[in-house]
Amino acid sequence: MKKDLMEILACPICKGDLVLNVEKEDENEVISGTLYCSVCNEYYPIEEGIPNMLPPDLRE
Amino acid sequence: MVTINYKNAAINRADNVYEPAEDSFLLADAALEICTDGMHILEIGTGTGFVAAVLQANKDIRLVATEINPYAVECASSNGVSVIRTDMFAGIKKNKSFDIVIFNPPYLPTSDDEKVPGWLNYAFDGGRNGRDAIVGFMKEVSNYLSENGIILLLISSLTGIDEVKEIMREHGIQSGIIARTKCSFEELVVIEGRIV
Repeated sequence: MKKDLMEILACPICKGDLVLNVEKEDENEVISGTLYCSVCNEYYPIEEGIPNMLPPDLRE
Repeated sequence: MVTINYKNAAINRADNVYEPAEDSFLLADAALEICTDGMHILEIGTGTGFVAAVLQANKDIRLVATEINPYAVECASSNGVSVIRTDMFAGIKKNKSFDIVIFNPPYLPTSDDEKVPGWLNYAFDGGRNGRDAIVGFMKEVSNYLSENGIILLLISSLTGIDEVKEIMREHGIQSGIIARTKCSFEELVVIEGRIV
């Protein structure tokens, strides 16, 4: 995902802001990392450039 | 891998992902007419990413899409679509930032014994009357549309065109049909909606 996607991404549970933690990136995109919601104390994974914003109980 | 070429776009298909069909083509054509350069666009339930990829191939836009089916997420991403795995609008901020919100919903009336196994059911199953996903969408969409923003919704005559327009009216959305095509036993239409 491109970093400017942070402008529109929200926690799916509380709809609040998220904190981006980058594990791996190239010049264009975040390839892996997490999105953290401090209100819900929940992490959403970014894998192969795709943010997975499903609540944890629905995640595969 | 099977690739569909349409209006400057090349779209890969994948197993367990809704295959672009008449509805996808009608919606892509209608969206191309409405969309102008510079717009910020959200597509809900992008599937292969067909509509999004056709728009991106022909317009200078910012587009993001959501999708719940993991196979479709992977497929849309391979087609160059910026996709978020989430249920409808769930992972998106309510900050009214999109000029167009596009939705080709699961619109077929579906009884329990008509459900298909696995993720593909999400592409078809509109609940008993075909309008479950549309009702959920209309409740939410105004949080994401910019002022003067436009909804583009694809449905079938089997979904109930008048009933869908009534749902939109209940949510303060003015609607009109901007494209239609007869397709064996049903008619497909694109409804344009605007918040009034």
